[in-house]
Formats: sequence, C-alpha cells, structure tokens
Amino acid sequence: MIRLARLAAVVAPVLGLGALWFQSDRTYHTGTEWEVPIQGYDPRDYLRGHYVEFQYDWPEGEYLGDIHYEALCLVGKAPTIERVRWLNKGSETCDHPVRKNPGGVYRGDGLFFGRLYIGQERAAQLEEELRNRDQRGIVTIRQREDGSFTPISIRFRPLTPAERAERDAPNEGAEDLRPPPPIMSQ
Amino acid sequence: MSARKIAEWHGAGLIDAGTRDRLIAYEAEHARPLVLWAVWGIGALAIGLGLVSVVAANWEDIPGLLRLSVHLALIAGLAGLVFLREGRLADRSPWAVEALVFVTAALGLTFFGHLGQVYQTSSPLWQPLAAWLVLFAPLLLLTGRGWPTALVVVGGAVWCAWEYFDAMTGYRISDWGTAWSYWLGTVLALPIVLALAGGGMRARSQRPDFWRRMEQLALAYAVALATAACAYASLGVFGQQGPLEIGMATLGCGGVAVLTGLALVAARPGTSGRMAGSIIAGAGLVLMLAPEVDDLDVPAALMFMAFWTGIAAAALVAHWRGVFQLAVGVIAARLIILSFELAADLLTNGLGLIASGLMILGVAWAAVRVSKRFAPSSETEA
Repeated sequence: MIRLARLAAVVAPVLGLGALWFQSDRTYHTGTEWEVPIQGYDPRDYLRGHYVEFQYDWPEGEYLGDIHYEALCLVGKAPTIERVRWLNKGSETCDHPVRKNPGGVYRGDGLFFGRLYIGQERAAQLEEELRNRDQRGIVTIRQREDGSFTPISIRFRPLTPAERAERDAPNEGAEDLRPPPPIMSQ
Repeated sequence: MSARKIAEWHGAGLIDAGTRDRLIAYEAEHARPLVLWAVWGIGALAIGLGLVSVVAANWEDIPGLLRLSVHLALIAGLAGLVFLREGRLADRSPWAVEALVFVTAALGLTFFGHLGQVYQTSSPLWQPLAAWLVLFAPLLLLTGRGWPTALVVVGGAVWCAWEYFDAMTGYRISDWGTAWSYWLGTVLALPIVLALAGGGMRARSQRPDFWRRMEQLALAYAVALATAACAYASLGVFGQQGPLEIGMATLGCGGVAVLTGLALVAARPGTSGRMAGSIIAGAGLVLMLAPEVDDLDVPAALMFMAFWTGIAAAALVAHWRGVFQLAVGVIAARLIILSFELAADLLTNGLGLIASGLMILGVAWAAVRVSKRFAPSSETEA
C-alpha cells in the first residue's frame, strides 16, 4: 500500500509535467501567424528580467478609451493585418478572432499588452535596438480558431517615410492628453 | 563536546579512564553532526537557486525541445532514484535523501518557467505554483525528512496563497462581494492547516522531524499573519477600503486558524500540542478582532501585546525557552514603539529625547531580567 503510494508520488510529477509540456507544445504550434505592429515600449522598464513587454498597435483600430471589448477581429490575409474590428461579446461572426484571456497576466488588458520571453544575450541586443527611434517593432502572433493567441517572435523594420513624417510632426493633441508629472499633482 | 577535551580532563586527573571511555562512547552515540547537516542543507539550497538562475538565463542557442527533454529526464531520474534507493540512502544519511527530494522539487518548479520560456505561456504565478504543489506535495510529504522539505511545502503553500490573493485583488478593487472576501481570507489561511497535518503525524511517522518542522513553520505563519493584522490595525489600514481592506476576509482567515488550533489541541495530546493549538487559535481570534481596533493606538497595541503575552505564557508552560525569549523581546519592542506613537512630540525637545532614551533602556533592562529570570530551561522544542 505504502509502496504503491510512493510509486504514485514519484510518477505523478513526471507524468503531470510531461502532460503540461505536451499540451503547451500542441497549443504553441497550432494557429495562423499574423504580424502586429507594436508601440509604447519604454527602454527603461521595457526589459524586466528576460522578457520584453510591448503594447499592440492594432492597424486601423479606433481608439476606444475606457471601453474594453472582449475580442477583436483580424481582417486581411495572414500574415498581414489590414485592419481590425472590435467585437461585441460573441454576437458577430468573424473568421480570425482574437480574444483576451481574463486568466492571463494582463487580464482585461490582454488585447493591449503582451510579453515575449527571450534569452539573456538577446535581451541586451533588443534593448539596444529599442533605443533606435527610426525602427518599428513587429510582433508575430499565432492566432487560433478559438481566439486565443501567443506572441512568438519580434523583429524590427525601418520606419516608412510616412511614419517618419508622422513621428516628427508636432502633435499638440497628444501633448495635452498626457497627465501632469507626479511632482506637479502633489 | 570533543574527544580531545575529554582526553585533556583525563590527563589532568579530573576523570578516571573508565569515565573517559564512557563519556566518549556517550558523545559518539549522541553526537548531532550539525556541520554535516548544514552542508547538506546549504548545498541543496544552492543547487535549487542555481537551477532557477540557469533556467532564467534562457539559453536560446539550445533548442527548446532538447532543453526541456534534459530537464524532464533529470526530474524523472532523480524521482526514480528516490523511489528505488530511498531506504538505503536514508540509512547512510537522512540528509542525502532530503537534499535529493529538495533538488527534485526545485527542478519541478523551474520546469514551469522553462515551459513558459519555450512556449511563451504567461500565466499569473499562482497557477504554476498551485500545479507544482499538486504534483510535488505527495512526494515531499512521503519522503521529506527535515526542515528544507518542510519549508518547501509550507513556503510553497504560503507563496501560492499570497500570489493568488494578489492576482485576485490587483485588478478588482471596487467589486468586493462578501462571499468573495471570505473566500480570499480563507485561502490566505489555508497554509495554517498544515500545522494540523504536522501535529497529527509527528507521533505516528518514522520521520517525526519533518512533521515537527512543518507544524512549527505553519504555526509561525499563523503568528506572522496575526502580527501583521495587528500592525495593519495600528496603521489604520482596515478603514481604507483598499485591497488590504480585508475585514471580511480576516473573518474567513481567522475562522480557519481558530478551527485549526482547536483541532490541533484535540489531535495532539500533551502540553506541547495544547499550547501550539492554543497559539494558533489565539492568532485566529486576533485576526478576527483586529479590524475592530482599527486606527486606535492603544487598543491595537494592547491586542498585539496580549497576543504575544499569550505566546510567552504558552512557551513557559511548554518549556520552549527560545520562543519565550523571543516573545519577551517582541513585547518590549512594541512597548517602545507605542511610546513613540503616543508622544511623537517628545522627540522634538531635548528633555523628551532623554526621557524616551531612559524609557527604552528601562524596558530593555526589564525585558532582559524577565527573560533571564523566568525563561524555562530548554527542553524539547515545539
């Protein structure tokens, strides 16, 4: 009896971890790859430990303020997203949905923020690249039919002339939206 | 006591040859190889920490599949070794088994991080921690022999409970339902229940040291929770409606502690068991009552001191010398803090400063006197 319990106690961890591995592997390798521009990274706190944190910049998705939809719909032909459409809870049909995961690390903000684990050496390189403002970060995500998705890689491309012009133009509206620095509000 | 010393005494004519031989035989039989234990313990801890940082460095040059295969093979190998050779290893040194199990558990925990790196799965920390506890607790409970594995079980449970609490409260501050608060409080208190397992098993198991450590660690967690609740009351945290506004949660938390304490009194006959159970039940009462004295300087401090006086009394009855001395020290420190709470302006003039300095010296002197005079002689620990 006790021998059986001991056998179960050593077999269970190995089998459990193996099953988790199998499941993670299967989930990771299913899905369609899409390329999503990212923005909003701050080189100072961007690399926490060995992952990069980024903000998705969904193409042509209108700014929604505080309204948090459950999902959005990718429109285009993989891997290029032409535009995105926000979805109300399960009411609309969509071929390529992307849903937030309330149990994930970013909870309600799962459609806005993401992270990608990378190696120690690569982290240092990437931090260097992120300081270069003439580049645009692109994250490849793997989107599955049930709406779950996983970021799988990150790359950079030079800004297009149009993007460069937009970046350099004085943007008064954006200035006004910024909250005052903490020292001013005390 | 070294054999060299005993030989010296014999040489000086203090003891005869027979006494010398009997002393040496006695010492050899009762020697506690503390250094050896420390070496095993520290070695296992260092390997565990090393594994965490090796995995965290995330070697991308090695394919994920290969890395994970090696990792899982290591776990399987060590688990197999524990299963097949446990008895023989334990006969030679219980600490070898202890270190082996500890390292296996550490490898298991890092496997979750490793999976996350290779497959980009990011979930709140409590989920992998809970899965790890479910998978590895049976192994730890069936083979643990000392404090490192007991610490892994109790520490893992506490860590998981707080990560869960943190994840559930971090993003939802406004919608506190009563049932939800009770649930969160109960989860925070769940590690205390391990004291019951420890207390119940220590007389029955062939590994009493493991269960005793587990009971002690869970008891220490209960005391830490109650002490923190007193500190929150002193700071007025309960009234702030924040995530720590756990008035209701504290009721759930305290309930679990009180029930555990009472059950422990029933489960472990003898003075030591009664006292340990009483301390845990007392901690539960403090947890439940702490919101009532929120932001009241004197009542909050009195509750704190009453709790620790209770611990000192229990230690006196059960002959736990170290615990008694700790309790006296804690009460003295709280008295000093109270004096500053009540008369913060004392510090602004020289005379006040001298008065508070004298008072601190007085309290310290009294504490040392009480500790020396009344401390029970050291016997078996809790």
